[in-house]
Amino acid sequence: MKLHSMPGRLLALFRRRKLDQEVDDEILAHLELAELDARAAGLTPEESRQAARRNFGGIEQMKEDHRDHRSVPWMENLVRDFRYGMGSLARDPGFAVVAIGLLALGIGANSAMFSIVDAVLLKPLPFPEPERMVRLWESTPQGHNGTTTLTFLDWKRQDDLFDAVSVENNEKVTMATGGDPIRVSGKEVSADYFQVFGVRPQIGRTFARGEDQPGAARVVVLSNAFWRTQFASDPGILKRELVLDGEPHRIIGVLPTGSFDRDDAVFWKPMIFAPDQMNRGQHWLTPIARLRSGVTIEQARAKMTMLRASLNAVIYQKDWGFTVEPFARLLVGDTLRRSIYLAFGAVLMVLLIACANVANLMLTRGTTRRKEMAVRAALGASRSRLIVQLLTESFVLCLLGGAAGVALGALLLHALTPLVRATLPFTADLSMDLRVLGFAAAAVMAVLILTGLLPSLRTSFGGLSNVLNQAARGSSGSSATVRRTIVIGEVAASVVLICGAALLFKSLERLQEVDAGVRIDRVITMSIDLPSSAYPSPRSAARFYETVVQRLQAVPGVEQASVSQGLPLQGVQWGEYMRLPEVQEPLLVRLKFVDSWYFRTLQIPVEAGRGLEYTDRAGAPPVVVINQEVARYLSKTLGIANPVGRMVGIDVPGYGPIPEALVKVQIVGIIRSERTAGLNAPPELVAYMPLAQSPQQDIKLVIRTLSAPAAAMPAIREAVRQIDPNLALGDVMTMKQVKEQSVLWARQPTWVVGAFAVVAALMAALGLYGVLAHAVTQQRREIGIRMAVGASSGNVLAHILRGALSMLIVGLAGGLAGAFALTRVLKSLLFQVSALDPAALAVACVLMTLVGILAAWIPANRAARVDPMTVLRDEG
Amino acid sequence: MSKEKADVPYGTLDLLILKTLATLGPMHGYRIARRIEQVAENLVRLNQGSIYPALMRLEQQGWIRTQWGISETKRKVKFYSLTKAGLKQLSIEIASWERATALVARFLEAES
Repeated sequence: MKLHSMPGRLLALFRRRKLDQEVDDEILAHLELAELDARAAGLTPEESRQAARRNFGGIEQMKEDHRDHRSVPWMENLVRDFRYGMGSLARDPGFAVVAIGLLALGIGANSAMFSIVDAVLLKPLPFPEPERMVRLWESTPQGHNGTTTLTFLDWKRQDDLFDAVSVENNEKVTMATGGDPIRVSGKEVSADYFQVFGVRPQIGRTFARGEDQPGAARVVVLSNAFWRTQFASDPGILKRELVLDGEPHRIIGVLPTGSFDRDDAVFWKPMIFAPDQMNRGQHWLTPIARLRSGVTIEQARAKMTMLRASLNAVIYQKDWGFTVEPFARLLVGDTLRRSIYLAFGAVLMVLLIACANVANLMLTRGTTRRKEMAVRAALGASRSRLIVQLLTESFVLCLLGGAAGVALGALLLHALTPLVRATLPFTADLSMDLRVLGFAAAAVMAVLILTGLLPSLRTSFGGLSNVLNQAARGSSGSSATVRRTIVIGEVAASVVLICGAALLFKSLERLQEVDAGVRIDRVITMSIDLPSSAYPSPRSAARFYETVVQRLQAVPGVEQASVSQGLPLQGVQWGEYMRLPEVQEPLLVRLKFVDSWYFRTLQIPVEAGRGLEYTDRAGAPPVVVINQEVARYLSKTLGIANPVGRMVGIDVPGYGPIPEALVKVQIVGIIRSERTAGLNAPPELVAYMPLAQSPQQDIKLVIRTLSAPAAAMPAIREAVRQIDPNLALGDVMTMKQVKEQSVLWARQPTWVVGAFAVVAALMAALGLYGVLAHAVTQQRREIGIRMAVGASSGNVLAHILRGALSMLIVGLAGGLAGAFALTRVLKSLLFQVSALDPAALAVACVLMTLVGILAAWIPANRAARVDPMTVLRDEG
Repeated sequence: MSKEKADVPYGTLDLLILKTLATLGPMHGYRIARRIEQVAENLVRLNQGSIYPALMRLEQQGWIRTQWGISETKRKVKFYSLTKAGLKQLSIEIASWERATALVARFLEAES
């Protein structure tokens, strides 16, 4: 086919009707003229007409020839098949709705899930040359650790390795708004922070060199979302100020939309190191950096190791090193990655089951359409032509299913995003972008192959005569075997999913049953950050703690109020060395600061010695209370049976920028362990020190109420406002919610897998129902004969149910085998439940069997009501 | 129609049509078919219908063009005429035909 005739040919495709008409006209004119000539030659009218036709040759053949030359025949066929496919779907709306619905569900769930997989795991980070972005750590024998100010400044000087090195430190501040102050999150960063990300501002500028040095003016950069919501996209934003913790900051720029809108932080301001922070003792910074172009991560590591060696004289942790990690790797934890793969696996399984169902529906339809195909074949359509026609029909179906699926996927994603947002890294952009659409298209093609190819091959197969001769009587044959096999596969796949879901739910239940070591009912918590401007000294902060508890205690409905740094289950901020005089190796413990009411509020019992008292305040001898884990460790490993009364040394972090200092403290008591790191983590070694002796700025109010905690909130707010109207309360959560949140990582994949397991089971049931219903229709005659010779309805019912049960049992066996094979995948996500937990697997099997029998009941019942007389008469 | 008549030699129908149009100017499909039959004087058998796909092929190549006209039976029909490109194509086809027949003729002489 020559190229230059292509446009005309393609055009002809769409002008088909008109062109056909033209050819018809031309033929008519030709025949008339021929007839006229023949009449002139003396033939009779009848002879003339015959002669004209004879001389013309085969009219239809000529038209076909004409058409073939006129356009691209396969395309013309395609268009015809496409229309035909639409038509045949429209003639069978029940089939169309079910098939399109199944495909939409499968493809929708998959494209939504793929969007998450893509955003979190596949796509490069949404920054220029993301492979150059790294995080810098000090490495300890236990793992990564933050670094110190002076070491950070050493790193910053390695400009042959890095284009930019920046710290980032989250902070919560109170922002004046004119009305009630609000608590907002921001980041303190180095001036070249945005160079690390390669991000340019949308409005204004980011920080200039030197703006992170002492004495620089106070400036701040806003996130786009914050600018839009808080400042109504004010174009004159650069003329405005932001009052943070009572200090005005000049707004110098607004970031573009994108990743930084998904972060908690709404503002960024330069971090200016205080003289007190210039040390190598306080490991508080986790810098990020951009490698110089051309420098590999290995080169950077090697160079950093050399640098570490040269700093031996000033760094006292001799066994620590420096390390460089890709930024991307640290954004996604193992649990999240596994959970996402698991959920994706579940939706893929659902798609497979949906495909199996659709393929089955098509096969069923195929048996009824066999005659149509045979007739078409008899009229001269080639086998390949028939296959193409059937495939085109499948294609129409998949296309409609795919389109509906993409729409459903967008809806799902829209609904899911707020639920999963907090679990995903801020760089993950969840959207139905071109990549997701590409995935959906690929899924549609895969579905087309899975659902279309086999049925169309089968349907167009089969010797002509044999099909035409075969009446629809009792012909189960090989196609029924194929359909049964497909249903068994569906059952097996759903059993795998249900087993997974059952295990995950059991694990979640176990997790939630874990005793957190604290009483969580009627406890409400909230965050407060004491700004350095209003609370410059430890003494001022200590005074605040005392006042706030006194005031809150007087609020009606409050049973007990307390202040602490951090909450149960949310981790302990500080990890410090506890030094025992008789032991060489210091002991690393989590260091938690609480006031004297904390143990009482959360009802943590004192096991030995005493708890913290009101008298443990500044000026009094410093004390520490340890938990049972520390006591156990001391007695087991170090042979110290009764630690109460002993003096130990602890590195205690200072207030604000004040560096940590070694303090000699006395162990005064042992308390029962609370779960600090989450319900799934074993109790940690925790030492509690009185807040009044070592005040901290970021604190929590922990309040036990007499009735529903939410009811007391207005009065609690008012009490705090009376002390300091500029303080904003943030993160208001009951302890129940804190607990819920701490198991979110386990809850989300569990519910996703659970939901899809239900969908899968229903689909498998639908498949089972479809096959049995079809079989019953096909076997009416056989059933009729059986009943005529004495089988009871009960026998027939049992016969059909037996058939269903045999499919179910084979499916269950296959599913269990699959579940065994997949234990490795699940194991790491399960908590105190074996991946082969017999009870969970049994529940899964029973559920599937019940659903399957319910699905089989309807056709079985129909079969049992077959009236032998009617059937036999019908078939004559 | 007697048995000994041959079909139009493969690939020559285009040449016959082009030559007809070059000699006699614009005409409609039936006239072209009749003209070929007359010149051939019953030497070949022509299915008159087969010229229409050929005409379309030629039109797609840009060698002939069509205009609407009125037939002797007062019907709207297409009149085909040669384009410049068609005229050039005709000379090419004639040349290649002559080369082909000369070649075949030489072979046949050599054989005998």
